[in-house]
Amino acid sequence: MDEPDFTKLAEAYASRLYAVAYRLLGSRADAEDAVQRALTKCFAARADYSPRWAASTWLYRALTNVCIDELRRRRTAVTAQAEIAREAATEKPAGAPERVDLERALARVPREARLLLALRYVDGLSYGELARIRGISVNTVKSQLARGKSIVRATLGPGQRTRRRAAGDEERSSGRTGRTAGGTKEPRK
Amino acid sequence: MMDWIDDALAAHFDTALAPAGLVQRALRHARRRQVTLDRLIDRFHIEATARGVRRIGFGRRGRAKAEPGGAHAERARQELTEYLAGRRTFFSVPVDLDLPDFQSRVLAEASRIPFGDVTSYAAIAARIGHPRAARAVGNALGANPVPIIVPCHRVVRGDGTWGHYAFGPKLKTALLSLERSVPTLIGCTSTRIVCRRGCRHEQRIGEDRRVAFASVADARSVGYRPCQVCRPRDG
Repeated sequence: MDEPDFTKLAEAYASRLYAVAYRLLGSRADAEDAVQRALTKCFAARADYSPRWAASTWLYRALTNVCIDELRRRRTAVTAQAEIAREAATEKPAGAPERVDLERALARVPREARLLLALRYVDGLSYGELARIRGISVNTVKSQLARGKSIVRATLGPGQRTRRRAAGDEERSSGRTGRTAGGTKEPRK
Repeated sequence: MMDWIDDALAAHFDTALAPAGLVQRALRHARRRQVTLDRLIDRFHIEATARGVRRIGFGRRGRAKAEPGGAHAERARQELTEYLAGRRTFFSVPVDLDLPDFQSRVLAEASRIPFGDVTSYAAIAARIGHPRAARAVGNALGANPVPIIVPCHRVVRGDGTWGHYAFGPKLKTALLSLERSVPTLIGCTSTRIVCRRGCRHEQRIGEDRRVAFASVADARSVGYRPCQVCRPRDG
């Protein structure tokens, strides 16, 4: 792959790569650094790029390798959560509680599952492509995604309940707490 | 089956806009000649006994001495070469140190700092049970006879500045930034085995079959098993 082709490819994927990195690392500066490192690596290896690979697989593999290693350095989940909370406090205006809740819920999801969720929802990648990016089986991809989503669902459950109550849903007022707790797992629609 | 979690996640992951000029900056950075440390290997001189490496010096001149510990010196040189090229994250060559008790404890504690991580002089002092001895820890590390193998460059001041380094602050910066860009656990996508970077099996993994992992537990959770040669472990 020559340089103009690589530049075109990088331009095409930059915002998606950045979105994945930002959602995984929780900070704009770290996300930019991760994308830069991944692109530097791919740029250096562009001569070895084989067209039998999808270009997206190649770029996402490089990016996820950088992001996973960055997450390794953050020793405790507490640090990452504090960072996400700080970022949320500085960058998100008040009135976006759902986003902060979701970030907190995602911080509880194990790294591998969080990575797959980010790839899946930023670019809508198929299970097969996720499996190729991380070098795992399609079944593992499915089980990791399901596990990640169930953790998010379980973490958001109580919050959803309060919001629905606050919205003034009369049926869910006091006296029916048992039903309400069960109802939190139902789809919102 | 789509449900509200899918909608919420899709909305959540849809919002980060890449800063303007990101690709141009990345490419400019990529085109710049990368600083490589691997040429420095000729400036290290390594002394070894029959039991292990005794001293590593750094200077303009110097060659490995073919002493009785020649095999260890040779192995240390090989491992250092790989480390400086970003192909190794741990050393397996033995060291042969005869040091006062305090210094040995400081060096043993420094050896536990993981690759790519840093800690402070005060934290080491606290861990060896002398919380007020940060300065003495600095002196003990300053007199480290086997730098890099015992990673005294991973110890920085409590305020985040680098502090002193026997081989100069530039080399300390270069080593720390090298460690920031090299992943420690590499999985092979075809064998589904995860190795420490530097294991002889890891060095045979092709570029298109490498995936990085943050921990052995993470690797296991997606169907990889640890290598039985380099035996990666968590924590």
